[in-house]
Amino acid sequence: MALKFNRNKHNSKIILDGERWERRLQKELMSLVREPPPGVVVDSDQGENLSLWTINMTGAEGTLYEGEHFTLQFKFSPKYPFDSPEVTFIGPNIPVHPHVYSNGHICLSILTDDWSPALSVQTVCLSIVSMLSSCKEKKRPPDNSFYVKTCNKNPKKTKWWYHDDTV
Amino acid sequence: MEVPRLDQPVNFHESVTSMAISALWWQLLHFKGLVQVFLSSHYFVLFPISNKFGYLKMSEEDVAVVGSSSQDDLIIQQHREIEKEISDRIQLVGLKESLETVENEYLNDEIYLKKTRDLGTKYENIRRTRPDGNCFFRAFGYAYLEYLLDKKEEYARFRELAYQSKDRLIKLNFPKFTLEDFHDVFMDVVNVVGKGPESSEELHRMFNEQGYSDYVVVYLRLIASGHLREKEDFYQNFIEGNRTVVDFCSQEVEPMYKESDHIHIIALSSALNVGVRVRYMDRGDGSETRTLRHPLPQVATDHVVIYSKLVERKLR
Repeated sequence: MALKFNRNKHNSKIILDGERWERRLQKELMSLVREPPPGVVVDSDQGENLSLWTINMTGAEGTLYEGEHFTLQFKFSPKYPFDSPEVTFIGPNIPVHPHVYSNGHICLSILTDDWSPALSVQTVCLSIVSMLSSCKEKKRPPDNSFYVKTCNKNPKKTKWWYHDDTV
Repeated sequence: MEVPRLDQPVNFHESVTSMAISALWWQLLHFKGLVQVFLSSHYFVLFPISNKFGYLKMSEEDVAVVGSSSQDDLIIQQHREIEKEISDRIQLVGLKESLETVENEYLNDEIYLKKTRDLGTKYENIRRTRPDGNCFFRAFGYAYLEYLLDKKEEYARFRELAYQSKDRLIKLNFPKFTLEDFHDVFMDVVNVVGKGPESSEELHRMFNEQGYSDYVVVYLRLIASGHLREKEDFYQNFIEGNRTVVDFCSQEVEPMYKESDHIHIIALSSALNVGVRVRYMDRGDGSETRTLRHPLPQVATDHVVIYSKLVERKLR
């Protein structure tokens, strides 16, 4: 498949090596198009701006989210992959899940504290798919209304506290 | 701004300011040199209940701090400021300094002064590294590669090992295409060392350029992690709590900025067959720094000597 990208006009001030940043993201995109995790569909044409991706996800069969469609947004800072991507659910359908706030913010440790540059968009998608698939009861986090009212738009500006790996 | 309160338990879920306070507390312990700055310019503004600071614990029952999330912003902003202050002040890896510069820092501290003087009888120079949580890996990488500049045979052994390491790590299920990037840059740096002593300046420049230096750190972290995963049954015995070796690796070894403990040192040292000696500056008796060697039966010399002035176990 032929992929063509234009240089992002916003990243003229890249802190790290800009070419390396771009190459890494292109590689990630190609690999995601080629081998998407189950239920994940990504358009190889992410537009002009390589630092902002939209990824579609369908709830897996036999799970509480079967047949539902979700959209994930990935934002990459110029320090990616040393900084984690900013990942949120966007659009009309935000999954009702104990770790997903109604504004689309996701509480997942690899998105902040446990992020490693050796992880990738693919591994993040896989974690989110598995987080949804293992859910036993559809409900919002207990502090949803408080959090949604007071949080910053950027979930990475929240100090998350991870304590429950079972759902 | 709402002041965090400690006396009234509140149930809360994920977004918790208290955790952040604990994190700051640890930073205070670690960044000894910065306590003054820290206290005077930010600390009181944020939490004007300093006398209760000592009560903060990490358990859910004890802590009852849910302010507005704007406190999260402030805390993160404060972290950024501290990081910036450190990065403005301390290079990733500094130039050679004589041990006297360390002595001068402890003129009013009898114990530390005695120990620094003793170090001065054994070592000529010291390089400082930035305390950003990666210091062990960066110090190790730099010290060892610098040592290899004029050791052709040992260099050849290491280069081969480094070259082969990629396939070993891929076999351990590290994602191939991210791994390749780090391996390629790592090998670029290793190849510079192969040019011999005249490339020492280039090595220094690379280690101070985030685009190379951090790639080296990541790759060394992956090597250490790979070793722990390969010898999972053995290392499981040294991991506290209910974590598996794989959990530990993905939470404490692979992410950047996570501090190193003995287990990281042993893992990297064993994986690369490189001896490490750590000299700890502590307040214990005697006039010498406490020395911890991480030698391997087959390694006769310590290739890398690392100096840590922290009393805490971890190397930033």
